[in-house]
Amino acid sequence: MIDRLLETARRKVDGADALWRREEQTAVAFESGRLKAAGISEEAGLNVRVLSKGRMGVAGTTAAQPDPEALLERARASAELGEVVDLAFPKAAPASLPPIPTYFNRTANASLDDLIALGRMLVERLARPDCQINVSVEREVDETAVGNTAGARGEYRGTGIAVTADVTRIAGDDVLMVYDQYVGADMPTDADLEALVRSIETRLSAALTVVTPPDGSLPVVFTPAGLAAVVLPLEQALSGKTVLQGSSPLAGKVGAVMFDERLSIIDDPLTPGRPASRPIDDECVPSRATGLVERGAIGRFVYDLETAARAKTQSTGNGRRGIFGKPHIGYTNVLFRIGDGAHSGHVGAQYAAPPSILGGGLIADIDDGLIVDDLIGVGQGNVISGAFSHPVGLAYRVQRGEVTGRVKDAAVAGNAYDLLKRIGGVGTDGRWLGSRWSPSLLLEGVSVARR
Amino acid sequence: MKDRLATAVKQSRADYTEIRVERTWSSAVAFRGRRLETATVSEDQGGFVRVLNRGCGWGIASFTSLDALPAMVSRANELSRAVLLEEPIRLADTAPVVADAKLDLDGDVRGIALGDKKKLLEAYNGAMLAVSKSIVDTQASYRDEVSEVWYVNSEGAALYQLRPEVVVSGTAIGRRNGTIEKGLESIGLRKGWRSVQGFEERFRVVAQRAVDLLDAPRVRGGAYPVILDNELAGVFIHEAFGHLSEADFVYENPQAREMMTLGRRFGKPVLNAGDNGAAAGLRGTLPFDDEGTPTQDTPLIREGILVGRLHSRETAAKLGERPTGNARAISFRHPPIVRMTNTYIAPGKAGVGFNDLIRDIKLGVYACGAFGGQTMLENFSFTAGWGHMIRDGQVAELVKDVVLAGNLFQTLDRIDHIAGDFTWNQMGGGCGKGGQFPLPVTEGAPHVRIEEALIGGDV
Repeated sequence: MIDRLLETARRKVDGADALWRREEQTAVAFESGRLKAAGISEEAGLNVRVLSKGRMGVAGTTAAQPDPEALLERARASAELGEVVDLAFPKAAPASLPPIPTYFNRTANASLDDLIALGRMLVERLARPDCQINVSVEREVDETAVGNTAGARGEYRGTGIAVTADVTRIAGDDVLMVYDQYVGADMPTDADLEALVRSIETRLSAALTVVTPPDGSLPVVFTPAGLAAVVLPLEQALSGKTVLQGSSPLAGKVGAVMFDERLSIIDDPLTPGRPASRPIDDECVPSRATGLVERGAIGRFVYDLETAARAKTQSTGNGRRGIFGKPHIGYTNVLFRIGDGAHSGHVGAQYAAPPSILGGGLIADIDDGLIVDDLIGVGQGNVISGAFSHPVGLAYRVQRGEVTGRVKDAAVAGNAYDLLKRIGGVGTDGRWLGSRWSPSLLLEGVSVARR
Repeated sequence: MKDRLATAVKQSRADYTEIRVERTWSSAVAFRGRRLETATVSEDQGGFVRVLNRGCGWGIASFTSLDALPAMVSRANELSRAVLLEEPIRLADTAPVVADAKLDLDGDVRGIALGDKKKLLEAYNGAMLAVSKSIVDTQASYRDEVSEVWYVNSEGAALYQLRPEVVVSGTAIGRRNGTIEKGLESIGLRKGWRSVQGFEERFRVVAQRAVDLLDAPRVRGGAYPVILDNELAGVFIHEAFGHLSEADFVYENPQAREMMTLGRRFGKPVLNAGDNGAAAGLRGTLPFDDEGTPTQDTPLIREGILVGRLHSRETAAKLGERPTGNARAISFRHPPIVRMTNTYIAPGKAGVGFNDLIRDIKLGVYACGAFGGQTMLENFSFTAGWGHMIRDGQVAELVKDVVLAGNLFQTLDRIDHIAGDFTWNQMGGGCGKGGQFPLPVTEGAPHVRIEEALIGGDV
C-alpha cells in the first residue's frame, strides 16, 4: 500500500512520507461484576504528507482501497495553503533498526475466552460487599508501516493489553472510587494481577474511614497516579513545539539546573515490553532515548521533523501521527529516574514493589500532611505555567507518620516547577502507569485548602 | 444504503441487531502563532454493528471496511453468544421510526474553499496577536464537518441523518518573564459556514484578558459566596449534576439508585434543570440518538426535586422508565452510551438580574468563563477562565486561577439565587466519558449564586 503511494508521489510531488496502520482490538467488559459485552474493532488507514513547491500538506483516509492519486491530490491541495518548510526526510538508515520486542505471541494469540477468564478472575478477587466492580480487558494487535521518498522504510507489528478495574463504594452520599490498570505489550503475569488487586485493596481499605482534611502549607506525598498534575506542565514545557512558540518557561534553559539534582527524566521508546515502544517513529526516524532532565538540569527538548527543522536541530524520534492530520510531537515512555536509581526499581515490571503500603515508605516523618492519589480536573487550566489547583479525588491524611483516613472536600495547589526544586523523598513504589514510570514523591510546601 | 443495511440486518441470526454507518466529510485549519499548522480535508467512514441474543450479552463490531459488513454481523453474533448472562438485557420499547432528518446546513461547509476557511481563521488569529506584544503564542483552529449517519435495526427503524458541525476556537497565550496566562474563545454550533462569521471582537477580548491576567493576583483559596456567570453556570450543571443523572451510573448499583432516588430534594425551590437534545441548532442537538430514539426535553430537577434522568433503551428498561434519546456514540468506532446533549439550568424570575445577586455579598468571587470541568461522582472541579473579587456588593479586582472544588449535594443545595438572564453556551468543547471524547454537547444557564463554595488556591 505504502510503496505504491510513495511511487506515485515521486512522480507528482517534490517529496512525501506516509504511514499506514492497521489495528484490531478485542474487548470484554464486566459491568457491576458481570460480563456484559464483547466487541471487536478493525481499522486501517493511510496518512500522507507531501512537500510541493517547498510547502507542506497532508491528507488521510480510512477508505478500504484508497486511491493513491486522489489522496496525493488532496495532500497537494493542502500544501498549496501550507507554510514553506525546510523539511528533509530521513534517508534509509545504514544499520538495521534497533531491536526492540513490540509483538508478543501470547498477547496476539489470547482467545476471547482467555480475555474473559482474565476479567472474571479479577472480578472474583475484588468482590466485596457493598462495592460495584467494573473490569475491562482490551487487547490490541497492530501493524505499522512508514516510509518516505528519500528511501527510508520501516515496518513493525505490535501488541498491547490493558486490564482495568474500578471499584465503587457508595454509602449514603459518600462515593468512593478506586481504580487501577495494567498496561503492557505482553500479557500480565499472575504477579502483575496480584499486584493490581493489592493496589486496589490497599487504597480501598485505607479509604473506608473519612477524616477532616488539614489545611495550610503542608508536606504532600504524590503517588505515581497523583503526580500527573506535577508532570503535565513539564511534559508541555519540554516539547520543542512550545519552546519554538515561546510559551515554554523552560525555553533557553538547556543545561541550567531547574530541579532537584536527584531528578532525571528520560523519554525511552526502547523500553522492553511497553506498548508505546517502537523501533522507528512515525516519520522514519530510528528510535533512541532522550534525556529530558538530567540530574536536575534541562537536557533536551523533544522534536519531530518539522519542529526540528524550524529549530535547526535534529528530530529526537518523537514524531507521532494519526490517520488524519499532520505529524506532531508525542512522548513515548517517560521515565522518572531518581537518585542513584536504587530506589527506582526494575522498570520491566509493572510495579517495583508490591503495592501493599500507601505512600511508598515516605510518610514516617510527616507530622501532618496528605497522600494524594488522584486529583480532579488535571489538564484543565493554565497547565504550562506550572500552577495547578485541584480538588482531591482520592487522598489520605497522614498524622504523626500514619495514614488516618481519607479526606474529602479539600483542594491542593502549587507550582510544579517550584515544588520539584526540592524533593523531600523518593518512594520505593516505582511503577508504570500508562506510559509513565515513576515512584511516589514527597513534596514540601503544597497548599491544602478545605471547606 | 438503508436497503443495504436492512438486508444485512435481515440476514442476522441474532435476536436483535442494529447497524450504524457513518460517512463524515470534514475540513480543518489550524494556526499556531502566525504559522499555519494545517489546512486539510478528510473523509472518514465506517460501520458499527451491535447484536443481542436472549440470555446473552452485547456483541459489538466496528470496522472501516464496509465490504466486511455481513462478516461483521456474524462476528458480533458470535461475540454476543460468548457472553452468557443470568439476568437478560432488555431494551425499553420505542416505536421504530423510519425517517430522513436533515439538519439545516446553514451554508454548506463542503462548498466553501479551504482557502476561505484559512482566511477567516487568519483574521481571528490575527485579532488575538494584534492585542499586545505580550501575546507570545496563539492556537487557533477551525473545524467543520458534515456527517451522514444511517441507522437500521431489526425492529424496523430506518433513519438517515445529516448532521453538520462547525467549531472555531482560539487560545491566546500571554507571557511576561516567568508568568504565563491564557485566554480562550470557542464557538461551536450544529450549523454551517454562515454561523461563524464576524467574531473578531470576541477573539480580541480573550487575548486582552490573557494580558490583563498577567498582572492579576491569584485568588486566595477558601470558602466564599460565589456568583457563576452564564457560561460557567452551564458547565457547572453539566459537570456537577448532569453526569450523575446519566442512568448508566445508577441502573445496576442499588446504593447509587438510593442516592439518586426520584423525589429526593437536591436544591432550593429556585433550582430547575434539564437536558434538551431537541433544542434547535445547538451543539448537542440531534433529531434522533444513536439507538434511533427521538430526542426530547427531559426535566431533571423541578423546584429543587429530582424528577428525571437520562436514559438509553437498556437503562430505561432496567429502571422501568422511558428512553429519553440520550444514547450517543462519538463515532462508528464506539457503542452508544448514556450521554447529555444540551443541559441547562432554567432561568429564575424574569427581571431578576446580576445586580440582585451581588448586592448583599460583602466578600465573594465572581467566577467567569470556563477552561473545563471534571466530575468524580459526588465531587467535581471546574476551572474558571478568570474571576473578579466581589467586595461590598460590587465587582472588584481581576483574579486568576479560580478553581471551584465541590461536593455535588452541598453545592446544589447552596444555590440560593438564580437570575432571569438565561443564555445557551456556544462553546466548541466536548464531553468525555468511557473513552469517548469529544462528544458535542453544550449547556445553558443564567447567572447563578452559590451561598458558599470552595475555591482552591494558595491559603
